[in-house]
Amino acid sequence: MVKEQLAQSSTRKISIRLPYATQVRFFLLPYLVGTLILVVIPALATAVIAFTDYRAVGLPTFVGLANFRQLMGSALVRLSLRNSAFFLLLAVPLRILGALILALLLQHRQKFFGLYRAAVYVPSVIPEAAYALLWLWIFNPVYGPLNFFLGWLGLPTPAWLTEPTTARLAIVILSLFQIGEGFVVLLAGLQNIPRSFYESARVDGANSWQSFWHITLPLLSPWLMLLTFRDLIMSLQNTFTPSFIITYGGPYYATTFAPLLIYELAFDYFELGLAAALLILTYVLLGLIVVGIINIVGLGGSTDEA
Amino acid sequence: MRRKLIWMLRHGMGLGITAVFLLPIYWIFTASLRKTGLPPPNSIEWWPQSPTFNNYPFIFNLLPMTRYIRNSLIVVATAVPITVFIASIAGFGMSQEDDIWRRRLLIANIALLMIPGASVWLFRFQILRWLGWIDSLWALIAPAFAAGNPLFVLLFFWAYRRIPTEIYEAARLDGASAWLIWWKMARPLVQTTSVTVIVLSFVMYWSDFISPVLYVFRTDLYTLPIGLQLLKQLDPTNWPLLMAAAAVITLPVLLLFLFLQRSFLSGLSIANLLDQN
Repeated sequence: MVKEQLAQSSTRKISIRLPYATQVRFFLLPYLVGTLILVVIPALATAVIAFTDYRAVGLPTFVGLANFRQLMGSALVRLSLRNSAFFLLLAVPLRILGALILALLLQHRQKFFGLYRAAVYVPSVIPEAAYALLWLWIFNPVYGPLNFFLGWLGLPTPAWLTEPTTARLAIVILSLFQIGEGFVVLLAGLQNIPRSFYESARVDGANSWQSFWHITLPLLSPWLMLLTFRDLIMSLQNTFTPSFIITYGGPYYATTFAPLLIYELAFDYFELGLAAALLILTYVLLGLIVVGIINIVGLGGSTDEA
Repeated sequence: MRRKLIWMLRHGMGLGITAVFLLPIYWIFTASLRKTGLPPPNSIEWWPQSPTFNNYPFIFNLLPMTRYIRNSLIVVATAVPITVFIASIAGFGMSQEDDIWRRRLLIANIALLMIPGASVWLFRFQILRWLGWIDSLWALIAPAFAAGNPLFVLLFFWAYRRIPTEIYEAARLDGASAWLIWWKMARPLVQTTSVTVIVLSFVMYWSDFISPVLYVFRTDLYTLPIGLQLLKQLDPTNWPLLMAAAAVITLPVLLLFLFLQRSFLSGLSIANLLDQN
């Protein structure tokens, strides 16, 4: 049937026809053009503008490394980079670990487990603005549910969003529940490990802890690596909305993360050159963290797989 | 006996995890039913005394919520189909390339995934200004023309890759265009991926808080997330009201997710994860 339709319509069409390979190449065109205009060119322009003095009007003038010197001389900029590093080093490992534990616990193909897995994804679909407001209420020191709960357990009830240390921690905590993406990716990774590996390990007398260390973890490590890198980049960006809505950078700049400062420099002060330079500094920070991880873990655990 | 114990432990744990992850949603809805003006609770309130729906009409009186909803709906209704279309044909095009180009495009896509959003903020503003899209809903729809997220293209690519190319062979010999092959043969075979991308892109455009903050200044073009932020500035401690507004913005994505979660999650993962048996 389909074939008939295809044959019919093809006779009606114009006779000049490009070869299939060329036609298929045109399918990529809208995506490539859109990405070039909306992503690649802006990203490259930002990298160039970091070395210029540019205030949105007029032409940018080249100033070399002056922007970077000015930024590094500012205590607020250094603080925002420290805050970002604190967030990344705490939130990203906890998010990956959380996603891994949940994936391991919920991987069974049993009745109801599909529903449990779906529930883990639910906080990840809550719109950011609503999610931020919700946590503003949960963290309320006087009548927020979190402090009632901590009080009931007999634990200390901190002032959360009004204390610099706990405010910074609060932004980390709220990020730990939106881990649906990593969870699903690791579930897929777990499903790809052949059952026979575990069976032969059991025959050899390995307990479940040993088979986790010697089978699951090495085979999952490429996924974990990929997730870690993506999470490092996305998490930094994802501090923007909570810090904008919940604390607007406060108290005492404790939640002023680099993206918020970039936003202020660019859209409040129109210092586009400085904003772009700060963006590059955050890349350097990310790069340092990535190099650190590679040094500690080794590349993708490829040595374990052998 | 031991089997039963393991069964109970497993499900107990599953239910515990479910409870923890559904708690945020539960709190949004129960807090939204609380009467305004009551003194704040002095312990965890699992269900408000004398629950009321009055907060919902009230936010519509306080703010032009209908307009925000309309704007959000216009953005989603335009951006999601464009996103799915562009991502789908790009993924198909990628899957039909030869090995060398396929690998190059794959690497390019993964590199694109690693570009953080903040790095395009500054100059996307300039480009949108040249296009005349600043202060219009097009500024919020714009990402759709780059397929929303390189991940969507990759999801389609992985799905199309699993279809053996031989099944297109006969149609090609009959002289069918690539266009027709995509529409009639390939596209119907990747429905779960389409559903996944619909859900993900819907959530993305519906929740987008940053784009309107950066590119939209006319109050009559505000979308729901900005409305929520306005309400918070208007009445920062009126929790029942704020949570009612949060419920209004959360409900559509939640319903979409619940209706489509089966295809959605199985489309996201290569294995059929939600197979419950």
